[in-house]
Parts: sequence; structure tokens; C-alpha cells
Amino acid sequence: MQTTTTALLEMQSIGKRFGAVQALDGFAMDVEPGEFVTVVGPSGCGKSTLFNIVAGLEEPDEGGILRFKGRGCHAKELLGRVSFMPQRDLLLPWRNVVDNAILAREIEGANRAAMRAEARAMLPEFGLAGFEKQYPHQLSGGMRQRVALMRTFLFERELMLLDEPFGALDALTRSMMQRWLLDIWQRHRRTILFITHDVDEAIFLGDRVLVMTARPGRVKLMRKVELPRPRKAELVTSPEFTAIKREVLDAIEEEAMKSFVAETAA
Amino acid sequence: MTRHRGTLRGILGGVLLLTVWEAVARGFSLPAYTLPAVSDILAAAWQHRAVLAAAGWITAQEALAGYAIGTIVGIGLAGLLVVAPLLRGPVLPTAMAINSVPVVAWSPLVLLWLGVGMGSKIAMVALAVGFTVFLSALAGFDRVDRRSVDLMRSFGAGPAGVFWRLRLPAALPLIAAGMRVATVRSLIVAIVTEMLGAYGGLGWVIYQSVTLIDFVQVWSAILVASAISLAFFGLVGAIERRVIFWR
Repeated sequence: MQTTTTALLEMQSIGKRFGAVQALDGFAMDVEPGEFVTVVGPSGCGKSTLFNIVAGLEEPDEGGILRFKGRGCHAKELLGRVSFMPQRDLLLPWRNVVDNAILAREIEGANRAAMRAEARAMLPEFGLAGFEKQYPHQLSGGMRQRVALMRTFLFERELMLLDEPFGALDALTRSMMQRWLLDIWQRHRRTILFITHDVDEAIFLGDRVLVMTARPGRVKLMRKVELPRPRKAELVTSPEFTAIKREVLDAIEEEAMKSFVAETAA
Repeated sequence: MTRHRGTLRGILGGVLLLTVWEAVARGFSLPAYTLPAVSDILAAAWQHRAVLAAAGWITAQEALAGYAIGTIVGIGLAGLLVVAPLLRGPVLPTAMAINSVPVVAWSPLVLLWLGVGMGSKIAMVALAVGFTVFLSALAGFDRVDRRSVDLMRSFGAGPAGVFWRLRLPAALPLIAAGMRVATVRSLIVAIVTEMLGAYGGLGWVIYQSVTLIDFVQVWSAILVASAISLAFFGLVGAIERRVIFWR
């Protein structure tokens, strides 16, 4: 019975232990092609470990199943196969906007001149028109984040991992960036796995919201978000949205209490 | 704006110092072996300009050649330890042991091995400069953010790719700082080694003039050495500001 062969990414009973700390234990999820899955959970629940495994930076412990495009694989085989965007923009200060954006493709061995031209054509879509020659220290936080996103998008991989990309931005910039990201996602049709601390953001963006348990990280709740797209800003105050939010918040609250108690007892 | 003001202040300070010096030397009629007047030093320097220029040229060549060799070896060795971390164990303590002795202490041995010509001076300068640059380059390479390395790896970059695209440029500010400090060291070491044995150069002029009790000439040689050192320091600093524009 092969029922999950369509999934882009499959994880079953994935565990990861660092010394005395069990970061993940029996973690399982599937991500379908073209899907936008958001991940929320209390701090220290192993979200980053999860991302590092899917990005290929960390190998899960023996015994778990990891499949990409239907084929079982080691995490390290995923290096260079998913486009990963860490929390901080990590732009290289000695490269201008365009050269930062093409970094991943350059490593891949793509022709520099052709890549630069492609990146320049994408600048308006990322709200960076006219900034191609600027250096990171000359840009605002929101713009730096958009350059990092552009770098992630230019690295054309089916699966994108975004780790709290808007975490450091102010509320207004943040909600603008969310709508902008949805717009871009709908046009480019990539699969996105998105970590956030912000429940509103998770529901607003996701097709599904995954709530993780306190450490060791497992799936606490996988909630489908059946809200129509394209999503508008006023959606967040609708009764349907609020109902989902209630459910997700309850799940997080329960886990946050657990980790709080565990930490204060220790 | 502020830089120009700083330069102006520096020049004013220098002029003030020289004026006081001149006044003290003349006012108290100090003998030349204590402190000759600035005007006498300048006059002597002008009078012996051919000798001093020839000596300065020799010293500058030694310092520059040693500096170039030391910089390349220092950065190269630090890079090697980053790409092949296993070498760190044996190499780092050895380097520290050699470096824990003042470099000049090696001069007599190096003179013995390489002779009294320019080779021994170049080797000594390369040794002194090499350690300074090696240590700052190693610190620079190690300072790179782990998350940036992870990001490059997730893009599929191997160790060489990470080194060229990330570690080397990220280390440049510290490498440059080490190189700037090393400019002055290169001249000091060249001159001291010349004083211990040479056929020419500013150190040799200083040594000869002391034996001939010509203290004004000693001061003239010091003047030329300072000028070369200052120019070298300024040049490397200017290049540094151009290359590392992002700070």
C-alpha cells in the first residue's frame, strides 16, 4: 500500500538527541507539492533541529524514515536540494544586492552574467528596484530580508525552508511582507515550510498549521486552514480565523505550560 | 571632514614638538650626543642625502621583500590550518614557541645562516611579519559566523567554496589590521638586523655613525627611517580603507 507517494517530503519517527537533550522524538509529517505548511511551537521545542535536518545540515538519529520525492535518503543528501533561509538574513556585507541574491546560484556554478541579469529583472517584484548596486549596510531591515528571500527564491528548489523570516521586523512591515510573500508564492508555486512564533502569521499564511509539542518535539496538532485564497488583511478578524486561532492557541498554551514547568523545576 | 581635522591636528602637534625641541637644543646649547637641534639634523640629512637615500633604498627593499613574503606565508599558513584542521595540533604550538622569543633574538643565528647580505634581513622581516599576519588571519578565519557557514553548505558549497566566498573576505578586516601593524615592525626588524651586521642600509649607517661619534648622522638616519615607516603605514592603511569598504 503506497498511499503517500505524492508527498514531496515525508518524515516518520524522526528523532534527534544532543547529549542529554532529546530535541526531537517520533516526529512525523508529510508535505505535499505546492503546499504552504507553517510550524509553530513553544521556544526550544526543536523547530530549528527539524529545519536543520530538512536542510541537510544535521543527520537524524538512526531508526527514522526520511523521504524526499518518494525516495528514502540521508539528510546530508538534501544539501543543495532545498532552499533554506535562516532567521537572520546573513547577507555578505562585501556583496551588493544583486551579487548577494545570486550567491546560491553562483555556488551551483551558474553563469554569473546571466544570473545577474535574471536577478535584476526580479528586483521590482521584491520591492528592490533601483537598489541593485547598494550594499547590505545601506539597506533597512525589511529590504535586507527581501534580498535574503530573493536569494532563496532564485535558488530554484521545490522545497523552501523559511525560519522566522519576518521575526525581526516591526508589525506593519511584517504584515505587508506576509501578503507580499503569499503573492510571490502563488505566482512561483513552490512548496514552503515556514517556522514562526506568531500564531496569526502561521494561520494567515499556511494551508496547514503544525503545532509542535514541548521538548522532545513531536506533532501536537496538524490543523488544516480552509480559508479562501487570496487572503486579505481583514481575514484575521473573521470568525473562521478566530476559531482556528483558538484551537491552535489552546494547543500551544498547553505545551508552553509544560516546558515552563519543566524549566522552572530544573 | 573629521579625518582632515585629525590630520591637521597631527601636523600641528608635530610642528609644536619640533619647535620646542629646537628651542631646548639651542637654548641650553646641548651637545650633539645628547640632543642635536632639528635644524642641524635637517641640514646634515640634506648634506648626506645621497648616502641616506642609498641606505634608505636598501632598507626599504629588505622591508618590502620580507613584508611580502611574510604576508603571503602568514595568510597561507592560516588558510591551511582552516582547510586542514588536523594540522592545528602540531603547527600552532610550534609557531607559538618560535614566536614567544623576541624575533630579534634570532638575528645572530639568521646572520650566521644566510650571511651579512640582504637575504638575512629579508628572512628576519618575513619571520616577524609572518607571525603577526598569521595570528590575525587565523583569528579572522575562525571568527566567521557558523550560521553563515551552514547557509553556504545548504546551498551546496564544499569547504573550498566556503573558504573563498565566505571565510577569506570575512577575515579581511582582521588580516588588514595585522598587515597594518606589520608595516612598522618590518622596518624595525630590518634596521635592527642591519645594526648587527650588514653591508649597507639605515641600520648600518646608524651603527657606523655611532662608532664615528657622528650623532647628527644617527639622527638623520632615524629621520629617514621614520619617514619610510610612516609612508608605508599610510599606504597600507589607505589600501585597507579602499578594499574593506563595507565596515
